[in-house]
Amino acid sequence: MSFSFFIMLFFLLCYANIYNYMNIFQKNSVMIVFLKSGAGKKNRQNIINFINKINGIKKIKYYGNKSSMKFLSKRLKNLKSVLKNINPKVMPSFIKIHFKKSAVSSIFLSNIYLRLTSLKGIKLVYYNKMLENKIIQFMFFTKVIGFILFLFLLILSVFISYSAIKLIILRKQNEIEILRLIGATDRYIRIPMFIEGEIGTVLAFLVSISLLYLIYKIFIFYGFDGFLKFFHIRIIFLNATQIAVVFLIALISGIAGTYLSSRKFF
Amino acid sequence: MIEFSHVYKNYDKNYILRDLNFTVNKGEFIFITGHSGAGKTTTLKMLIAMEKPTHGAVKFMGTEINEIKKREIPFLRRKIGFVFQDFKLLPKRTVFQNVALGLEVSGVFGDVITKNVSELLKAVELYTKKDEYPLSLSGGEQQRVAIARALVQNPQVLLADEPTGNLDEETSKIIIDIIKSFNNKGTTVMLATHDKHLIADTGRARVIDITKA
Repeated sequence: MSFSFFIMLFFLLCYANIYNYMNIFQKNSVMIVFLKSGAGKKNRQNIINFINKINGIKKIKYYGNKSSMKFLSKRLKNLKSVLKNINPKVMPSFIKIHFKKSAVSSIFLSNIYLRLTSLKGIKLVYYNKMLENKIIQFMFFTKVIGFILFLFLLILSVFISYSAIKLIILRKQNEIEILRLIGATDRYIRIPMFIEGEIGTVLAFLVSISLLYLIYKIFIFYGFDGFLKFFHIRIIFLNATQIAVVFLIALISGIAGTYLSSRKFF
Repeated sequence: MIEFSHVYKNYDKNYILRDLNFTVNKGEFIFITGHSGAGKTTTLKMLIAMEKPTHGAVKFMGTEINEIKKREIPFLRRKIGFVFQDFKLLPKRTVFQNVALGLEVSGVFGDVITKNVSELLKAVELYTKKDEYPLSLSGGEQQRVAIARALVQNPQVLLADEPTGNLDEETSKIIIDIIKSFNNKGTTVMLATHDKHLIADTGRARVIDITKA
């Protein structure tokens, strides 16, 4: 049972890390709206007002010629000297749009893109359509895989729990027979088995989570995640909610396994 | 109180019981006799719904046992104490705990258990050994524990299947005397045995030979 939970937690840890990494991408979903050089103040305000009315917008920021230059020099860091003697007036003014994570979908982004490009005073709307679509597809894919994996491991842990209780029942067959002969109800016999099953489940869960945490710590301590840092990937451990969910699943699978086993054998 | 009418029991094509008919009244002491394999144990087991008749009816207190629902069987068994030839005691529980089990399964706890179990253990002269484990007791003592457990629920009937089968003559007499003492207090007893000496020693008991009944 412990092994089953360990596998379940290990897969969840992998899944959580992939999901977390993809989430960072999705959270930073932005769209840049370049304004025409001749667009007046009124026109610019109209565009900002239009964007503000769209549902799913987290924040927007306007960059004029000068702030656009600052933005660029900040990005260029050590190479910013190349911008020397360049007149800020040649820099394009633009609006940077940040989206709410929950609202982001490929349809949503395409829709906004089309609406913005149709507006007067807008020169170009930029967003990495391909990357966004790939991320959204990948997020969907990981969700589906995660769900299938979850179902598979749930069935597996129910089966393991079922087998463990089956062994207990076979070991106690003589005692069960005696109890039934003296008038014990099935409920009276099953309750201690449920308790025994649940204690076993909790212990198995504690062993598996401790083992996984130990492996995680060793992984981090010896810097095995060094190559991942190159890709700006930080390995995270499961959070309290995820652990609680697996714990709950473990308890449910323990109850289900005990119930199925006790129903079959007496 | 107990009625067997036209009871047949077969396993595959072998008939063990053929047209068994008898009644048992309240407070009677009945010996069920017959040769080995005649169906003595099967007859007793039918009364606690461990076996079902192939044909015919077995009634207890006017209720046909065959018609009792599965979930009601434990409640029937609490009304009928059963003593087995092989004692069927739990080796990891003490004498006291084994006897108390009979009450615990009925949902009785606390002082009632202490009082009732102690009284019964005194009656079977095992109170001093209440904290010992069954395997440290002799065969006769184990059977007395089994009798105490069967009687702790204050059943209307005590069924005993070859209770002296594994015991010497002297111990057998003690066991029968204990069972008789409870019969004298009003408990109906049905005892299956093939020991003719045992039957001869018991005065007012009725003998039912199931090969002829």
